[in-house]
Amino acid sequence: MPIIDIKDLCVNIQLDEGMLTPVQGVSFQIEAGQTMGLVGESGCGKSLTSKAILAINDKKCRQTGEILFETDKHEVVDINKLNPRGKEIRDIRGRQISMIFQEPMVAFSPMYTIGNQINECTRLHITKDKKQSKELTLEVMKKVGIANAEKRYDQFPHEFSGGMLQRALIAMALVCKPRLLIADEPTTALDVTIQAQILELMQELQKELNMAILFITHDLGTVAKMCDYVSVMYLGRVVESARACDVYKRPLHPYTQGLMGSVHKIGTLKQERLFSIEGTVPLALNLKPGCGFYDRCNQRIEGLCNVVDPELCDMGDGHCVACHRCKKEATVHE
Amino acid sequence: MAQSMATTANSPVGKPVRKSHPMLLFVLKRLVMLIPTVLIMSLLIFFIIQLPPGDYLTSYVAGLKSEGVVVDASVLANLEEQFGLDQPWYIQYFKWIVNILTKFDFGYSFDLGKRVWPIIADLLPMTLLVSLVTMLFQYLVSIPLGIYSAVKQYSVGDYVLTTIGFLGMAIPNFLFAILLMYFSFVWTGSAMIGLFSKEMLQNGVHWYNLGEFLTRLLIPVIVIGTSGMCGTLRAMRAQMLDELGRQYVLCARAKGVSERTIIYKYCLRAAINPTVSGLSGSLASIFSGSTISAIVMNLEIIGPTLYNALLAQDMYLAGTILLVMGVLIVVGTLLSDIALAWLDPRIRFSGRSE
Repeated sequence: MPIIDIKDLCVNIQLDEGMLTPVQGVSFQIEAGQTMGLVGESGCGKSLTSKAILAINDKKCRQTGEILFETDKHEVVDINKLNPRGKEIRDIRGRQISMIFQEPMVAFSPMYTIGNQINECTRLHITKDKKQSKELTLEVMKKVGIANAEKRYDQFPHEFSGGMLQRALIAMALVCKPRLLIADEPTTALDVTIQAQILELMQELQKELNMAILFITHDLGTVAKMCDYVSVMYLGRVVESARACDVYKRPLHPYTQGLMGSVHKIGTLKQERLFSIEGTVPLALNLKPGCGFYDRCNQRIEGLCNVVDPELCDMGDGHCVACHRCKKEATVHE
Repeated sequence: MAQSMATTANSPVGKPVRKSHPMLLFVLKRLVMLIPTVLIMSLLIFFIIQLPPGDYLTSYVAGLKSEGVVVDASVLANLEEQFGLDQPWYIQYFKWIVNILTKFDFGYSFDLGKRVWPIIADLLPMTLLVSLVTMLFQYLVSIPLGIYSAVKQYSVGDYVLTTIGFLGMAIPNFLFAILLMYFSFVWTGSAMIGLFSKEMLQNGVHWYNLGEFLTRLLIPVIVIGTSGMCGTLRAMRAQMLDELGRQYVLCARAKGVSERTIIYKYCLRAAINPTVSGLSGSLASIFSGSTISAIVMNLEIIGPTLYNALLAQDMYLAGTILLVMGVLIVVGTLLSDIALAWLDPRIRFSGRSE
């Protein structure tokens, strides 16, 4: 039984101009101790998907589909059915599913000490006892590598460096030992050396707590390092999902191939130009039928790709892809 | 840095000693800075007051002349010398300030023929009462409504409050006063002019007529306070919306913090910042904004007296009133700064070297 099983998740926003559908039918599942990478360009719906799991999207967003979450009491809850302001979902947030945000510098309120903000979690979910709550907080702060935790506990966010704040943010996410950790581009705001440290830290803690991690990023290098499985998103849909090594060895979807091609590899000649995917992600407003990647695809099939939505199909060994071209080639091979 | 190391070494927990210092230092510093501020302010006030050509005597004599009375030049010179009006302004200022500091004597009101201080001491309590109640009204009404307006953005209630807010900011005080007086006359048969009824003037304010006094206070408070209230409401709404859209709100929500805690613990504390720092400014605008309303409503407060003193070039009276208001505003600023430092740790620590 996976910890989280998302089935056909859609996020809609009703605008004056029409219906905006930034997430359209995303499905995936993650098991305990596993890391799922969610990859894609900016604006493809990664963050909305992750926030949908916690039901913390803007009030304007409507969520449909199912988000089945197995709680620590082994009950299965559909998060989409819970009141997003209700007590039930608040008990899950922070306690069972927690989230690390992209920019640690703005994720803390400047008005309260780091200690106060971390131990708010324990006071909400674990213990009302102030002393015990502080002990738990200090313990987790030490665990994420914040030196001199007793002193740091009483400091304010503006007295922390970016890397330290990210550690504090991780401490805040982990203090209640959640079953699922959502990391929304946790290292993009940090410099490279700190990035590596933070990623290693996350892996260590994952082993220790046997957490499932949903790792959201556009950095393919981090995915290779961190993830067991990868789902590639484009225009609100999963276009390819497979084990991480398979995606790297044999990307099937033209979009994934484009992404791989646009990463600089060490050892290539300096003069060699990086591959770039033409155009930008279109706005998910009043979408036409057919493949969302059609306009930018270099392998498109006229009369098929712009007419029929490609379904996500298993190409064998759990390697799924949503592409007419791939499907055709597979049938030819058979 | 060395200092912070030393303090942490003294206290094993590293908490109590380090925390009390910046705040205390901050308050002390601001208190010391108060003295030069007030002195410079008094100099400026005096300088500006004596800027218009002539003085009380010349306008007085001009008034007599227009009525056909001829004043002897020697009498005039005599009076000038008696009041020190023949000396340059900085000597006059110096004498004035020395008298204030040594004898608490603020000079003489030519127009009213009395010492300045008793006049002010008469008016000050009522002025302070009206101003403080107005401020209380302003903030107690505008802050909750501003929060409501922001949290329920684009709801019917928000639209209603927005309409009221803009109307309140746009309607001039005196017009509002006339309107309210008209309606209170139509509805209750009394125009509610002045703070005291005839009966109160004879017997004073006691428990039994306190209710009536408070209702009489209500109209001036609403009249003077509405524009400020509406301004604060709008500012509070904008600030709250700003804070509610920040990432830390999302982060707190992801922790499982309730909406109520998010609003009151996190957003309000940050959003109230400009309102608190505008506290002394609103005190100033209450002082100056109340003048015309006070004339229209016949209120026994300091505004109309200042207005007459300025018209009559009654320099010591006008100067003293301005100085007293100035001191009140400076003290208000100090209080709001202390409140700000308490609210926002970034301000509290800004003076400390890292």
